[in-house]
Amino acid sequence: MYVLTPLERAWHYRELIRAVVRRELASRFRGSILGWLWAILGPLVALGVYTFTFSHAVGIPHSAESIGISGYVLSIFAGLTVFNLFGELAYRAPGLLHEHSQVIKKSIFPSETLAWTATLRSSVYASISFALVLVFQLIINHKVPPTALLLPIVVIPFLLFLLGITWFLMALGSFTRDVVHVMISIVPMLMFATPIFYSIQDVPHSMQIYFHLNILGNYVEMTRDLLLFGRLPDLLVYLGTAVVSLFIFGFSYRFFMQYKAVFVDVI
Amino acid sequence: MSSDVVISCKGLGKAYQLYVHRNDQLKQILFGFWRRFHRQHWVLRDVNLEIHRGERVGIIGRNGAGKTTLLQLICGITRPTHGSIETVGRIAPILALGAGFDPDLTGRENAMIGGAILGLRRAQVQARLEAIADFAEIGDFFDQPLKTYSSGMASRLAFAICVHADAEIFIVDEALSVGDAAFAIKCDAFFREFASHGTIIVVSHDLTTLQTICSRVVWIEDGEVRAFGKPSDVINAYRGNLDTLVA
Repeated sequence: MYVLTPLERAWHYRELIRAVVRRELASRFRGSILGWLWAILGPLVALGVYTFTFSHAVGIPHSAESIGISGYVLSIFAGLTVFNLFGELAYRAPGLLHEHSQVIKKSIFPSETLAWTATLRSSVYASISFALVLVFQLIINHKVPPTALLLPIVVIPFLLFLLGITWFLMALGSFTRDVVHVMISIVPMLMFATPIFYSIQDVPHSMQIYFHLNILGNYVEMTRDLLLFGRLPDLLVYLGTAVVSLFIFGFSYRFFMQYKAVFVDVI
Repeated sequence: MSSDVVISCKGLGKAYQLYVHRNDQLKQILFGFWRRFHRQHWVLRDVNLEIHRGERVGIIGRNGAGKTTLLQLICGITRPTHGSIETVGRIAPILALGAGFDPDLTGRENAMIGGAILGLRRAQVQARLEAIADFAEIGDFFDQPLKTYSSGMASRLAFAICVHADAEIFIVDEALSVGDAAFAIKCDAFFREFASHGTIIVVSHDLTTLQTICSRVVWIEDGEVRAFGKPSDVINAYRGNLDTLVA
């Protein structure tokens, strides 16, 4: 019930969520000449910069020598894609209710759907990046690990985790504007606590357990394992991460709904 | 609740919490159990109303009397502080016409979203798009971005969407002045037809119009119901009260 209620409500509002996501996607590149090409060009430029940096400017870490520059660049790129999905939502969520205050105050708009539309919108761009990773792997290695097919089992709990975070930050952010500033200082810090430019194997054994407490890091590692290295994630880590994600999802939804009618009076 | 009562308010009260500092709201949530960080401002007090299916109820009162808050409570946008409110059936509110419109989207796209907010299925909205455009009389502008619309056109579009939402309760806030005389006649015809099966709630300062279209009128003063009954009686009492204020 804990997890099913929010899913059932989202299904109920699926038409609205779809219409709003469509609007957000359509409006992002409206008025630009290249339009949707930007969604591909952006990640391509990033990949180019990483490749140049690690092949010419600085070398790659010792531990990454086995996978080579292209492998290392793709692994950073995949890691950043996962992390940026979180970062983008963490920055955006606290202001989401303020952004839509007109429609929330004056119409019967179900504000909980804003978390879905924000998460889905960001996921569409992230999936373009993931598709690029697969394309580059095909070009470089002429094959994609079969474990890439299992990506949904990691992506689904990850999306629920992101939804939970978004609901929680939306609720907090409606009461105080400070949440945005807290996020601006926390997110970059989290980026270094997350194995993006390094792998969790590079961390001393005694400290790895703490790194596994970082849910986000687990998602980065599991995505890379499936998408790049053809490894199955550790079952224990996977289950732990998924259970915590479901808990955050369910808890944040209830937290949000408890204060939902109050937001109208405070934003 | 008897079968033909569609809106029932019992002892309804709404207080807004006034905070001296913005962040007191957060303190209230975290530490509210021990201390109170706000003053209460009662916007509505002890409102008891029963509205039946097929009624056309007008709400009158001076600015700040609590009319909009009452509508927000009926729509379920905000929760009552005291008492209870029950409603039956789908509500189409035009609290502020077109509040949810996106200026960069076309009328058609906005109609899709508006319909979805009101709880319509995608196929249902699509089937009604032409009827909506027709009713709103916006012609070729339907496929232009909303920012190119005049305010009258945008209001007519919002009105048209609500008209086609299969609502059982229709809520109109100051919207009677939408459009020109021809559109007003069309709205009037719609209201008459709608009243045969649905319920209409209208907030307006246009007392003459209210007197002709409403079956009952509520007068709200300082958050309390001063009178609820026959339009001519309530409106006359309200007018008399206004006169004493001016004199």
